[in-house]
Amino acid sequence: MFNDLFFRLRSLLRREVVESEADAELRFHFDQQVEKYLKSGMTREGATRRARLEIGGHEQLKEEIREARGVNLIETLFQDIRYGLRILGRTPVISGVAVLSLALGIGANTAIFSLIDTVMLRMLPVEKPGELMQVRIQDAKSPNDEGEPTFTNPLWEELRSRQDFFTSIFAWSQTQFDLAQGGAVHEVNGLFLSGEYFSTLGVRPAAGRLITAADDNRGCPGVAVLSYGFWQDHFGGTQNAVGSTLSLDNHSFSVIGVSAPGFFGLEVGNKFDVAIPVCAAEIFDGPKSRLDRRSWWWLNVAGRSKPGVSTDQWKARLGVVSPEVFTAALPQDWEPKYQQDFLKRLFQTTPAATGTSYLRRQFTQPLRILMGVVGLVLLIACANIASLMLARAAARHKEIAVRKALGASRARLIRQLLTECVLLSTAGALLGILFARWGSSLLVRYISTGDNKVFLDLTFDWRMLSFTAGVAVFTGLLFGVLPAFRSTRVSLTSAMKGSLAVDAESRAKFRPGKWIVASQVALSLVLLVSSGLFLRSLVKLVTLDVGFDRHNVLLVHANLHNAKVPPEQQPAMFEEVESRLGALPGVISASRSVMTPVSNYIWNNFLKVDTPNPPTGDAALAYFNYISPGYFGTMRTPLLAGRNFTDGDTKTAMLVAIVNETLARTFFPKGDALGKYFRVQEEPGKPAPPIQIVGLVKDAKYQSLREQAHATAYFPVAQIPEDSPEQVFELRTAARPSALLPSVQEAVAGVSKAIPLEFHTLAEQVDDSLVQERLLATLSTFFGALALLLAMIGLYGALSYLVAQRQPEFGIRMALGAPRSSILRLVISDVVIVLAGGLAAGTCLALATAGVLEKMLFGLAPHDSLTFLAAIGVLSAVAVVAGYLPARRAMRVDPMVALRYE
Amino acid sequence: MAQTRIELPQGTLDLLILRTLALEPQHGWAISERIQQISSDVLLIQQGSLYPALHRLERRGWIKAKWGTSENNRRAKYYELTKTGRQQLEREKDSWKKLAAAVAQILETA
Repeated sequence: MFNDLFFRLRSLLRREVVESEADAELRFHFDQQVEKYLKSGMTREGATRRARLEIGGHEQLKEEIREARGVNLIETLFQDIRYGLRILGRTPVISGVAVLSLALGIGANTAIFSLIDTVMLRMLPVEKPGELMQVRIQDAKSPNDEGEPTFTNPLWEELRSRQDFFTSIFAWSQTQFDLAQGGAVHEVNGLFLSGEYFSTLGVRPAAGRLITAADDNRGCPGVAVLSYGFWQDHFGGTQNAVGSTLSLDNHSFSVIGVSAPGFFGLEVGNKFDVAIPVCAAEIFDGPKSRLDRRSWWWLNVAGRSKPGVSTDQWKARLGVVSPEVFTAALPQDWEPKYQQDFLKRLFQTTPAATGTSYLRRQFTQPLRILMGVVGLVLLIACANIASLMLARAAARHKEIAVRKALGASRARLIRQLLTECVLLSTAGALLGILFARWGSSLLVRYISTGDNKVFLDLTFDWRMLSFTAGVAVFTGLLFGVLPAFRSTRVSLTSAMKGSLAVDAESRAKFRPGKWIVASQVALSLVLLVSSGLFLRSLVKLVTLDVGFDRHNVLLVHANLHNAKVPPEQQPAMFEEVESRLGALPGVISASRSVMTPVSNYIWNNFLKVDTPNPPTGDAALAYFNYISPGYFGTMRTPLLAGRNFTDGDTKTAMLVAIVNETLARTFFPKGDALGKYFRVQEEPGKPAPPIQIVGLVKDAKYQSLREQAHATAYFPVAQIPEDSPEQVFELRTAARPSALLPSVQEAVAGVSKAIPLEFHTLAEQVDDSLVQERLLATLSTFFGALALLLAMIGLYGALSYLVAQRQPEFGIRMALGAPRSSILRLVISDVVIVLAGGLAAGTCLALATAGVLEKMLFGLAPHDSLTFLAAIGVLSAVAVVAGYLPARRAMRVDPMVALRYE
Repeated sequence: MAQTRIELPQGTLDLLILRTLALEPQHGWAISERIQQISSDVLLIQQGSLYPALHRLERRGWIKAKWGTSENNRRAKYYELTKTGRQQLEREKDSWKKLAAAVAQILETA
């Protein structure tokens, strides 16, 4: 072992000595042999000749000796690297373009992959994440679904008291807390957690202590644990943060500790700032708190599995425990029908090693599509470099022939050429990692919305590194193998003979170059089609008639519960604030409502009508909003018939509603909705009075821009059946909505300084709902443009090379009287053939793959012909531009100059 | 020259070199001469395979090289067997004999 290493090292380090020794040894052998033949009576000439024939090539033998000594592998690697660097350095612009396009390709791949890694693959940074299981609730009607993850507190408490199949089990719930006491809100990410949370996950305190089971009991005092990041940002990381108090939604909590750095919670894409025990919900809710509410779904539950418990045992236990728990936590006020369904529900578990994530649900598909897109970009970049390498290899034709004649083996030459490629791709990968760091944090900022700051821990891990390294080597080989093999297939005689013979041969050799360019065209077309589809979908969504005017509307979200205003005073206070806001200069009109469009919140229920054959089941579902009379005017939703609400529609007046076209059509197909009555499905003990339809408005989007219009009913906010401490004011402004913030704050403070206010604009709220679509459209357009640029460079390079190669031929043709136009035709026909082939293949490929995109599109089919035609048009135009310069050069060939080469 | 010469089977060259060097240290040319002589000119060692083989054996540590002076007073590279080389020779001799015996047996009986 050591002997071998030493030997190799000596051969390597004392190379000259070893070389001359080998020389001397072979020379000695040769002399001995000659002497032997002389003794046997041959002439000196004959003896020398015979000995030389026997020994064969001196240099070849030395090469074999080197091989036998095991020097070659390491030595030639260094040699190849040195030589490769020199060769690449000789054409700095071409090498630079190659490295840059690779860096873009590899960087894009690494950036997207790092998002996929953090969002979908990475294990939580907690103790033994593989043991974590999330508990879900499966509906008996859909046994194949993975189940709903949310629990009520009674369900959680009943399950906890019965569980014996986890080593421990815990619950948590994400929320937002307002740190400010009145005025503009200062929101932080809050976390309700049960006492077992930190101990089960194995999280340690960085300061003070963490919440334990002893802190999580009914009637508990308000204690809070800070995350490490929040402690640093908000308290400067000082020790006296522990013991200080924090105002959460206007309630005072004392800080007992800080969790360790690197722990962000279980939700990937989010990080918690402040954690409080589940029991503290009582502090916010008062005596009728969510802790005892059997229809308030807010908790998530997970546990650490017991080692050695098999899946079957597990399932059997869950089967026994489920009915007990659901019986004990049955909501008493539900209709018997729904209670039966509730009792049939079943607990089941799913692995939670990678945490939970709304990002994962929302972005898995877009990220996969983007991964495909950047993969194609990388392929196109590879194709570019491959044709570059081919061209350069042809230019090095003679060099390769000479080296072969001097005894270099083909394998050796291939290794040399591949080393150059791997050098290029390594440089590309290193630069690409820089691009990726920058790109992925840009992406995270891009998918963050006003309400939802996405946080991802993008530290580089082994998985990303090995991905990048793998991509680098793979691409290096991909663009290197073909040129390396082709260019080393040299016929020595023709190479030595010179130009014309070489030309004939290298023209045949150029055929793979055409293939490469054609496949670039094909791949670019696929990218262009997909970016076209995404772009057109986005445009359709943005320009969609949504039924309201989103521009210049300021939304002011006010929370009177957190302001500790008693429920009976709330309606009057909202009324007062609305009238003050409406009187502000710069406000055209003001209104208030419980819901705003596309806000992620919904309120719906089933309606009953007395017409024959009324809609049943889900068809009878309608979406609700409670609004003040100014709402439709402010939102600019046209009233089509009937009357608007007035101040006369008070709590004690007759119950009225304004419905949208869809509701009218669904429930009153005869078109006579106006003046008719409907009822909301009653709850036990609460009779549902009839509500008269007094107005008809145009359909407007409720939950998302993609939805088919929902049947929607609007009611006067004065007639809201329950307390409504959170309402939103809509202000239509004359100028930029954000300019109004100070005067709005001042006006509200004039009513009460304690009211927390949250500001959005309606346009921003609508935009935020399109973050997926915008991400796909922007990135695929960017990468489509990049692909187009690469393909253009590729085509230009390939054609210039072709023209240069055929210059003598063109010269001869011209000298024989061929008109310039026929030369042009020769070049153009090359472009047309390559382009047509590429476009045909690309169209087939795009047609075959576009189906994948269907779910992400809006308002157009994946085989949308307009998009396809546009993509083909753009690509052809680019090809014509790329082909023009080389073609012109071909036409201007001076026959004399061309012929002189011969 | 009319004699028929036999191509060496794969791997036997190493054995022959080790055996030749077991007598005394030799330089490359002498090794090839010796093998040719002892085999009554049946085995002809090609230089193209002799020298790579010598360097390979040296790398494995079975032989080591030393510069010395030849009979005709020239500097020559002498190879000699090392201790591990001697053990290797015994092993290879054994397995060769077994192989030869087995082949012979098959040729005679089958």
